[in-house]
Formats: sequence, structure tokens, C-alpha cells
Amino acid sequence: MRLQLNGARAFRGDWSLEAEGAFGEGIHLVSGNVGSGKSTLAQMLAGLLSPSHGTIGREGIRSSMISLQFPEYHVTGSTVAEECRSWGLDPVPVLSELNLMEKQDRAPLMLSRGELKRLHLACVLAKNYDLLLLDEPFSSLDAREKERICGLISQRTSGITVLFTHEQTTFPRVDYLWEIQQGMLIERGELPGALHDWTHAPVLIKRLMASGKNLKNISPLDLQEATCRT
Amino acid sequence: MIELAGLSYRMIRIDSLTIPPGITSVIGPNGSGKTTLLRLCSGIAVPENGMIHIDGKTPRETDVGWVNEFPDKNILFSRVSDEIASALRFSHVPCDETDRAVKTIARQMNITHLLDRTIKELSGGEKVLVALASALVQHPKILVLDEYDSHLDETRCLQIEELIRTSGVPYVIRCTQQMETASRGDLLLVMEDGKVTLSGNPARVFASLVQTPFYPMSWRCRI
Repeated sequence: MRLQLNGARAFRGDWSLEAEGAFGEGIHLVSGNVGSGKSTLAQMLAGLLSPSHGTIGREGIRSSMISLQFPEYHVTGSTVAEECRSWGLDPVPVLSELNLMEKQDRAPLMLSRGELKRLHLACVLAKNYDLLLLDEPFSSLDAREKERICGLISQRTSGITVLFTHEQTTFPRVDYLWEIQQGMLIERGELPGALHDWTHAPVLIKRLMASGKNLKNISPLDLQEATCRT
Repeated sequence: MIELAGLSYRMIRIDSLTIPPGITSVIGPNGSGKTTLLRLCSGIAVPENGMIHIDGKTPRETDVGWVNEFPDKNILFSRVSDEIASALRFSHVPCDETDRAVKTIARQMNITHLLDRTIKELSGGEKVLVALASALVQHPKILVLDEYDSHLDETRCLQIEELIRTSGVPYVIRCTQQMETASRGDLLLVMEDGKVTLSGNPARVFASLVQTPFYPMSWRCRI
């Protein structure tokens, strides 16, 4: 299974993004500054946006899903229960798990933002897609939910998962690291080696590495284990 | 001081709370009432019972800057410069003064390159920056930020915090799901089920949250 970008470029006025490289099976993390083109890249990978130049090839990918940055963009049901059904899911187990059964008849946009994001991610993660693209999956989630979602993402043992996020401390286990810098997608490589080249690394991870901590990965457990090791 | 007394609105119940000038962070689980409290402090919602006073006036009698986490909800105009200028134009501030203020805040926030763009061309994080500029340009007495930081990179968050600190806005109330951000505020409120369950300086409040995922990871890692 492979997603191959061959000089894929997107333009918007005087802004542009160029992407070259291959996303294979595993969990990929893409970081970059505000406005660097993470969401644009996510939409290109999902096939929602055609590159102005170059190509994007898909090998062995039979199903794909993108979770957009703002969960409001996904809502199609007029009630919370209908929203679940619109994803082909039985609302009862989904809403029971989320503790939202009492709100099943409410309009989805009347949920708190965190509740809406939890509902959306539960619908997205209920199925196993070959290609899963998650644009800012942790925004609006409380600390407990972030850890739970990280656990679910880490459990994906097959397929291509690509995360685009500004999250500072709570990550799933990540296999490959990418960055967008000055309009170019740059492949940093496999973890843990790639961590040394991570320009956009959160302050916490930079400080841990600067103090000589040997990080195996960046999940909360990995960060704490590295801290405990001398 | 911001004073809340005998306050009830939907799920919110606050008997008494005083918020001094400075940056106040609000944290808590999803659905605990953080956004509702922020809506009350900004005057978007009005208490069913009780009162909120900001230096003796209700929020609706106060100049408020409001930034929604889903900025599309509040953006009115299609061009960035018009959006940032909107509060000043609604207040009949002279055109040349408005133009100067828009350019100044854009320069301070490093978003001058966005001024001639349309909102449609912006990324999610850029929309948040435009919403922040639109709120700050009017020099509000209280700036209310609903998880503005969840779509910004860390470097940009720190720059914005510095700008807010030096902007002279007396009261900043922000809810955040980044505990590192919350640890940098002056006052920290923890909400659960519509109530403020903990209140104090971040060090004291987080000391009660050591065994929870809400404890800042950098403190847990002693970095």
C-alpha cells in the first residue's frame, strides 16, 4: 500500500506547496507553521484537491477517509443520532461509549465543540480505512480524550495514517515524520532517528532531547519513560 | 475585578468568583461548561440569575473582544482587511485612523501578507489569527478566547501571548486544552459539570491534578 507524490504542486496566489515522496503503511506525522499548507496537502492526499502540477499515485488503497480540521464541515444529520446513521453506524453503542445518549435528539451543532469532535472522531475511527487522513484531530479534545484517541490511532496496525497537527504534548506512536518548510514537503524519516532533524518539534520534545534524554517515540508514555531514564 | 455572584445559566452554577486583571485560563473536560462561561463573560449570553460585573459594569456595557474556536462562525466580511477593520467601522472611527490601526495590528501579529486575501483563501490557523486581530484592534477591556490556540503552532502561540501581555488589555479569559498554555496564565479555573471546582494560581491548582491527564506534560517530565 503506497501513496506516491511526484512533484505534486498546489498554488494559491503567490503561495505554493510542492510535495515529493511516498507515504507507505504506518503512522505519519506532518508538522508545519500556520498557513504552511498542511490542510492543502491533506486535501490533495485525499483526492479532494487536484495538484496543479505533478501527480499523486495510489497503490493498493481501496478505501480512504479524511477528517477535516473543523468537525462542523462534516455534519449532515439533523440530530446526533442521525449523524451516526449517516456514517452507517448504529447510534446506540456509539453514543453510549461517548456518554451522549441523552443528547441523541439534539442538533449536532448544539453540542459543545469538544462533544462534536468526539462524535465525529468516533464515526471516523469506527471503520478501518486503508488511508486515514486526520487534520488537527486533537483540537477541542480534553486531555483525557486526547490520550484515548491517541491510543486508538496507535492501535492501527495496517494501512496508511497521516496526522496533520499543532499538538504540543499528546501524540500517538508515530512511525514517520514529515515537515512543510518554505513551501516544500520534507521527509524527515523514521522515528526515533528523525526526531533530531525535527525543526517544528514542540518545546517539550526539544528540551528533553537537549537534556540528553533518549526518546524512543513521542507518545505520552514514551516521553515519561525517557524522563525516568537517566 | 470581574465579579460573578449567584450566577446560573443553563448548566452553569457559580456562587461567587472574583477574577483579577491578567490572563485567566479555564480548563476542564469536554462539555463541562467552559465555552458557556466564556459566552457569559463576553455578554453573548446573559445570566438567568445572578450577575457578572467587569469593573462594575455588565459585559454588554463593556468593550469585549471575542474569538471563537470555529472562526467561520463569527467572520462577517470576505476580505481580511475589511474583517479586521469591522469593529472600528461599526464604531464610526474615522477611515484614516481605522486604516492605520488595521496595518498596525497586522504588523504586530505578522499577518500583513494576509490583508489583501479573501477569507476563503486562509488556512484554519490563519482564520484564527484574523479573528484575534479583529478582536485586538479595538483595544477591548476584556478579551475572551475560546480555544484559539488549538489551530496555532507553538511558536505563534507564544508570540501572540507576548503581544496580548503587552497590549494593555486588562482582562484576558481563555479556555484551552493545552495544559502548557494554561500553566503560563496568572489565574487558573477548573470546571466540571458547570461549576468552578478549583481556582488559584496555576502551580497551586495543578498540584491538585497531578494524578490526572490535565497535569502539564512538561511538569510531569520535569522540563
